[in-house]
Amino acid sequence: MRLLIAGMMVLTMGISLNWAAAEESPTKANSGSFLPGIWSAPVGEALRGLPVQDAGRIKPFDSFARELLEMIYGKTTLEGKPAYEVVLTWLLSPQAWQGKELFEVRNHEVLKGLGLDPERRYFKGEEIFSNERFSTLRQELQEKRESKEKLTPYFQSLGRLENQFYMFTEMASGRLLKLVPEAASAQGVAGSWVGVDRLEGETQAAFMVLSRKFIERIGVMAQKGSHEDLLRASEELDLAVKEFKRKARESSPNLYPSDGLADLEVHYNLFHPFRWSYIFYLLAAFLLLFVWITDKGRLMPGVWALFGIGFLLHIYGFGLRVYLAGRAPVSNMYETVVWVSFGSVLFAAILEMIYRFKFILLAGLCVGIFGMVVAGSAPAILDPSLQPLEPVLRSNYWLTIHVMTITISYAAFFLAMMLGDMALFYTIRGEEANREKLKALTLAIYRAKQIGVSFLAPGIILGGIWADYSWGRFWGWDPKETWALIVLLGYIAVLHGRMVGWIRDFGMAVSAVLTFSLVIMAWYGVNFVLGAGLHSYGFGAGGIEYVAAFVFLHFLFVVYTVLVRRARAQLQSQTKT
Amino acid sequence: MNLNKTVFSPRKIIKQLASLKLAVITISMIAILTAIGTFVEARYDATAAQKLVYQSIWMELVMGIFAINLTAVIVDRYPWKQRHLAFICAHVGILVVLFGQYLSNNYGLDGSVRVGVGESNNFAVIPGKIDLTVYSSFDGSSYTKLLAREVDFFLSPPTSNKPVIIPTDQGEIRLTEYQKYVVPSRKVVASDQVRAGAGLRFQMHNDKVNVVEWLVQRNPNHVATHDFGPAQIHLGPVPSEGSGKNEIYLFPDESLSGKIRYAVFKKENKLAALSGVVEEGGTVTPGWMGLELRILRYFPRAVETWELKPKDRPTPLTTGAVKVEFQKQEHWLLLNDTLKLFTEKAAYIVTYASRREDLGFPIKLDKFIMDRYQGTMRAASYRSQVTVPEVGAVEISMNEPLKYKGLTIYQASFEDSPQGEPVASVFSVNRDPGRVLKYLGSLIMTLGIILLFYFRKKAQVAKKNEVQG
Repeated sequence: MRLLIAGMMVLTMGISLNWAAAEESPTKANSGSFLPGIWSAPVGEALRGLPVQDAGRIKPFDSFARELLEMIYGKTTLEGKPAYEVVLTWLLSPQAWQGKELFEVRNHEVLKGLGLDPERRYFKGEEIFSNERFSTLRQELQEKRESKEKLTPYFQSLGRLENQFYMFTEMASGRLLKLVPEAASAQGVAGSWVGVDRLEGETQAAFMVLSRKFIERIGVMAQKGSHEDLLRASEELDLAVKEFKRKARESSPNLYPSDGLADLEVHYNLFHPFRWSYIFYLLAAFLLLFVWITDKGRLMPGVWALFGIGFLLHIYGFGLRVYLAGRAPVSNMYETVVWVSFGSVLFAAILEMIYRFKFILLAGLCVGIFGMVVAGSAPAILDPSLQPLEPVLRSNYWLTIHVMTITISYAAFFLAMMLGDMALFYTIRGEEANREKLKALTLAIYRAKQIGVSFLAPGIILGGIWADYSWGRFWGWDPKETWALIVLLGYIAVLHGRMVGWIRDFGMAVSAVLTFSLVIMAWYGVNFVLGAGLHSYGFGAGGIEYVAAFVFLHFLFVVYTVLVRRARAQLQSQTKT
Repeated sequence: MNLNKTVFSPRKIIKQLASLKLAVITISMIAILTAIGTFVEARYDATAAQKLVYQSIWMELVMGIFAINLTAVIVDRYPWKQRHLAFICAHVGILVVLFGQYLSNNYGLDGSVRVGVGESNNFAVIPGKIDLTVYSSFDGSSYTKLLAREVDFFLSPPTSNKPVIIPTDQGEIRLTEYQKYVVPSRKVVASDQVRAGAGLRFQMHNDKVNVVEWLVQRNPNHVATHDFGPAQIHLGPVPSEGSGKNEIYLFPDESLSGKIRYAVFKKENKLAALSGVVEEGGTVTPGWMGLELRILRYFPRAVETWELKPKDRPTPLTTGAVKVEFQKQEHWLLLNDTLKLFTEKAAYIVTYASRREDLGFPIKLDKFIMDRYQGTMRAASYRSQVTVPEVGAVEISMNEPLKYKGLTIYQASFEDSPQGEPVASVFSVNRDPGRVLKYLGSLIMTLGIILLFYFRKKAQVAKKNEVQG
């Protein structure tokens, strides 16, 4: 096999270099009609749905390649080319990549340590891995790991670099690409599939055909061949993929998956239901803004329709994710952000139906759009890939319920914060002139906080029951549970203050904005800033500067509003006297 | 009239205690304290957070005020009417939960049991409680307990000005320093203690193997062994017959002043194949697999001590250590370790260890089963097949604990070998007298919240009817 691949590489080099130099995505240019690209892989791209065993589950080659390219290059496409094409050429002609700036390094300290320009972000493999300093840094990382101390961002970044190197080498050697279930007698980790470097017999031959057809197709694309040529090459490649899957299935019919699930995941990857959902939210928000400003109430059904489409797409995306992963989608930061966005628009829609204030829906849509855009644009921090669960989180019904209940309360508090922002905005514009609007906003804020508290309190209790059930302790001052409690205490203090009249309308707006920082701490801060405790399966790194800026700007906004209000009050008392 | 105005009117005191201002301040204080706790845990560890915040006097004080405030608020509404029901439920619920937690903290048991595969264990380690124990012996074989007491060196460490003193017949044992976070490494030093055994550092090598190790005898009659599969090296008295393995015995013979007597046994023959005398720097060629044994260092009397590297923060490698002074000598005693002190007449054993509590029955681990995610070493789930007397064979898995004799035994975690094979299962064992109250309280509180909404709706409807009527 090794020899064959090597032969293939020589054959490929010229072509793939051309391909790598070609600028525009051939897929986009030639994918034909719009719909096949959404509902299933278009002609010539059946390769996307090829089942691969990776990181503890079977996934389509498309997902595998996206995650791999994301890890090494930081994006899921490279110069407009889809991940699956890029990643396959690493295997077929690794030499062609030697001169390419493929490895993303973000940490300036690491770059300085390697003696590289900290202003650059992408580097050639040889610049990093043939660098003598790289082995020194690796040693440093190894020592740090042995000391079992927490890894600082610098060491985390070094760890990623090491991983990038390892994964690229493993992919180039074919070991990483596991395409066929192992025969029962073989050695290695139980249930492990065979990498393409160890394929034998018919599957090996089928893979060789597949590789040749792949190269032919990208060759046609690079040389900008005629439509007929490309169609023929595409159909031949699809046929080769089909043939490979048939051979793989024949070799172990019980272990090889049917096409359905992999194709569905490819559809999920290509369709981006969450992106479509926020596009419709955005349209709804713009129309709503227009309605609000021009007071054209008869356009409201249009707003509801756009919102409804976005909401259905949101649910559809969730449904797909739940079906693909076989679990509720609340196991990492990405999933909770999408879930909270969902909760915000849902609560906003319900309150809007009751009160008909228009701005409640607007606030909900703003939260929804903000959340979905953040979730969709920061894959390095909010990992959108589907990963298997840690043992504690598996097959536990309480877990799902308690996480969903607590995070949905964050959605209500997020909505309250957005309404609070609006109220502060109208306060600055003039309290007298906007008296009606501010009264309505205060009511909406109050309701949103109440909804939040009535989900958070039971959520915490459910968390206690779950902890008691699986660990034998109801409450243990774990940072995640403690911060959820702090959020609850914060909002309860505000609601009690409101009851006796300490907190008036302006106070409700201010507290809606300020108390939300507690939610940010509980939701994001515990996992990304504190990084301690039993909930460590959700820990991550990155984005602190943006989140801190978000909180800080809100504080400034509150301070500014308070100052404006005070100045106005002074002015009034002066004119009176 | 006058009476009502006095400060000591019970009604008035209750009003004060039930004030909403006090409630909001207490709630905020709890929030701030616990927030500090989470930061302490992030910087140090859960133990530090427990000791410095959650179990501190401040926390107890604030919680106490909170409980009084809640009680006063309920009493203040007396005589209770139907419309108070929701309010009372919500607040009574919190009180009941708090009381349940108080019971769990003070009268519950929360420990962990580690059982190796195929082994059994009937002791639970209680991590929160640490005991200092001293035993003495005059004949070296039977020991009597001199002292056993719970200590908290984390919060009140001994210092040279305020040492912990344990009087003995042979003078005081003084604890004079405590280090919270140290990384220990073993060190062998020469000693002049009469009962100390010998210490020896050797190198065993051929073109494939290279092992460098210390061997230290606990006492001159003890046999210290290093086993590396195909062969064993012993430091101690030479037996008359070998055990049928490839072995080398090294014996510090005092008559040879600084030299070592050795005997080589082969697995084919019970009698020594080779014997002689070697000194520091010298080599022995046993004649198996081209191996050569070199004596790198030799102390006729040696003790093992700890070399400690202090750290600012805990890591999985750090532990606590206390300095023990006895007969003008200093020793470091690590947490969960034992220190032996000798004089001409007596021997003392000092231990500083987490309390172990007898469960009253053994847990035997028959089998540990781990399922992994396909094609990886990542654990997907794990469970233990155990045998407990009277119950027989049962399986304990995550979320499926075993309840027996008032204890609940949970699957907590496992230990694995460097090759990734599980070698032991760790259970958490727990008795929680407050459990019922915590569930009951939660239920009452939830009921209160539901009633709150119900009554508000009713009030709104009534108001509407009034307006319309």
